[in-house]
Amino acid sequence: MNRRHLLAGAASALAAGALRPAFAEFKPTRPIEFVVHGGPGSGNDVFARALTTIIDQEKLSPVRIQVINKPGGGSTTAAAYVVSKKGDPHVFACFTNVWLVDPLVQEAATNKLVDMSPIARLVVEPALVVVRMDSPFHTLADFINAAKEKPGALKMSGGSITSRENLVRQLLMKATGVRWAFISFPSGGERIAALLGGHVDMMIVDPSEAGEQVRAGKLRVIAQVNDRRLPGFPDVPTIKEAGYDIPNVPQMRGIVGAPGMSAETIAYYEDMFLKASKTAAWQRFLTESQLDGEFVKAAELKAFLAKFEAELREILKEAGAKVVR
Amino acid sequence: MDALSGLLHGFQVALQPANLFWCFVGCLLGTIVGILPGLGPAATIAMLLPLTYKMDPAGGIIMMAGIYYGAKYGGSTTSILLNIPGESSSVVTCLDGYQMARKGRAGAALGIAAIASFVAGTVGVVGLTLIAPPVAAFALSFSSPENFALMCLGLALVVLLSGQSLIKGMLSMLLGLWLSSIGTDLFTAQARFIFGQAALLGHIDVMVIAIGVFAIAEVLSSIEAGDDAKVLPVPRGLRNLLPNMAELKACRFAFLNGSVTGFLLGCLPGAGATIASFISYGIEKAVSKHPEQFGQGAPEGVAAPEGANNADTGGALVPLLTLGIPGGSSTAIMLSALVLWGVKPGPLMMLESPDVFWGLVCSMYLGNVMLLILNLPLVPLFAQILRLSAYILFPCILGISIVGAYGGSMFNLGLVVAFGLLGYLMVKLKYPAAPLILGFVLGDNMERALRQSLMMSQGDLTTFVHRPISAIMLGLAVLILLTPLLGHLNRLRVRAITESG
Repeated sequence: MNRRHLLAGAASALAAGALRPAFAEFKPTRPIEFVVHGGPGSGNDVFARALTTIIDQEKLSPVRIQVINKPGGGSTTAAAYVVSKKGDPHVFACFTNVWLVDPLVQEAATNKLVDMSPIARLVVEPALVVVRMDSPFHTLADFINAAKEKPGALKMSGGSITSRENLVRQLLMKATGVRWAFISFPSGGERIAALLGGHVDMMIVDPSEAGEQVRAGKLRVIAQVNDRRLPGFPDVPTIKEAGYDIPNVPQMRGIVGAPGMSAETIAYYEDMFLKASKTAAWQRFLTESQLDGEFVKAAELKAFLAKFEAELREILKEAGAKVVR
Repeated sequence: MDALSGLLHGFQVALQPANLFWCFVGCLLGTIVGILPGLGPAATIAMLLPLTYKMDPAGGIIMMAGIYYGAKYGGSTTSILLNIPGESSSVVTCLDGYQMARKGRAGAALGIAAIASFVAGTVGVVGLTLIAPPVAAFALSFSSPENFALMCLGLALVVLLSGQSLIKGMLSMLLGLWLSSIGTDLFTAQARFIFGQAALLGHIDVMVIAIGVFAIAEVLSSIEAGDDAKVLPVPRGLRNLLPNMAELKACRFAFLNGSVTGFLLGCLPGAGATIASFISYGIEKAVSKHPEQFGQGAPEGVAAPEGANNADTGGALVPLLTLGIPGGSSTAIMLSALVLWGVKPGPLMMLESPDVFWGLVCSMYLGNVMLLILNLPLVPLFAQILRLSAYILFPCILGISIVGAYGGSMFNLGLVVAFGLLGYLMVKLKYPAAPLILGFVLGDNMERALRQSLMMSQGDLTTFVHRPISAIMLGLAVLILLTPLLGHLNRLRVRAITESG
């Protein structure tokens, strides 16, 4: 290497250095791993694959995005995988509430969502409080008054005790001082079958799961778990409107990067998902799945997650879960 | 629309060239996926989901269903030939299927599996066509106490699966029950028996255990026995590769039993094909005139479970198509696919989207015929695999086992080796492996049903006998458990009579 090369090298290095602020923009250079904590076909998996397909079709990413499933232990296996890819700008995951809850209640789940690199929140999922059509309950107050008369005799079906439906139940029970039972079923199909079969009295369920049953006149919606009324159910009050002033427990889905992601990388992906969220295809997907698109950017999201985690810790303690962190 | 005009309309949809093509693609993919251990229909359907966005809903659901029931056909292949279950619902098929293969009847076993799959698969669709709404109503009346009683009935089958020693069978089953409790408890969100391993927070996959205690243990004990130079007998000539009349005749009841058991259990949310296959195997052995032949290569032992896991698909589509309730993971993906295509799956689907409903039902009649035509010619071909000598075959079995158990997790590889060693020890000590799998498959479901029932009844145990279906099933379970005791008493009585006489 002669002096001229050295000089040229130094000059280009200088130039690169000087130009850095303007050209600092990150661009992915190899295929991106999009980690999903459920198995193929789980709600999260379908969500991630729909999102990936839209990003593909709209050519929003210069590289391929590959969905990879890391099921096991709720979000634990997926979170551990994401953390093991620390500093890798080509790995992000689809998070839900479970990513916040698992580290709170599981000793072995050591990877907290807030310590990774939150990129964006994409959607918030509302929920409906439903009863059977032939049930005597026409309003949430009917149900709660009946529960007051026979403490512990009324039942609702749902998922784990850390699920949103149980957290809403805990908040309602605390606000009203009445009790009813919560019966866990592993799959959504079993939960709704228990209600339709008359084995439980009420459930809190995603509109996408209950919508058709409501339309067919099998189930009645008595309240909605959301900040505002859904377009599909304009006549049904939210829990707050029904007279129960409890904090809303949002069920969210968003994107989180591997820990140590640079601000430029986060900004790049944030922009990519913002563009994707504005496409007509995405809006159509949201309408069909009855989800609320509520995009929250990285900076705001980080603060929100920290606050929400603190709130969840308190609700979980009241729900009787053993909180370990 | 009644069933007849529905069928007429449905065949018009299903016989359109494009839909016939998708049906064939689904069946072919399903067969391949079924043969490969570790890759299940649910995963395949999910991976294909993005490709189907632009498809016509009828064509799309026809293809997805093809994968779903096609996989049940392919699942028996590796179970019979290599003692590696291809799907969790083909674990029981290993018991007699592999023994048939060892006796040179591999082709016959594969043929019986294909025929049983066809018969029961078709019966399942007939059920779906004719009696879906009343069966769906029955399935809804079935709740946790009934589920618990059903699981008790299933566990009582341990008596029939134990072989020589009931005590050893029970111990093996208890180990299975314990293994099923490892992981996060649904009710409290607390981890149980995970020994600090985050990878155990989810439950252990039944395939990992089955591959370990069946396939790997078999290879280890064959090597030890010095079988490595011996090649399994494979008769020459096509005629000897297909089931003979005597074998088919022996399976008459098994075809029926598998069909009915599979269809009914398939309708219940949460039971599933694996449980159906175990229960039909148990029923088959219980009513058999020669129960001692089970586990030694009885053709009925292949026909019943393979029938049950196929009839299960027809059953599982009953709550999906009439109520919009998915019973398992494959049907859950089909449900989300329907939503993405703009079809509204639910109680009104039969009326509002007759193309999709009846098109699917009719395509399943055609698909089952396609699968039979596709699978029977493969029988002689697959049977040739056993001509390979052990030093080629055993490494292949180990390789397929490890790939099948992997599922994206290195931890599973450690587990499958550990279960292989456990299985080897069990062979040495003459502990039967089937009760372990039975305990594992039923344990999780049974514990959950018990706790749900007690929560529903506010701790009142009499709920199990107050509900008629649950009471009947518990009674049957007690009866099955008492059979060895009765046999014992009978022998004592006979001895007393002969001694006194």
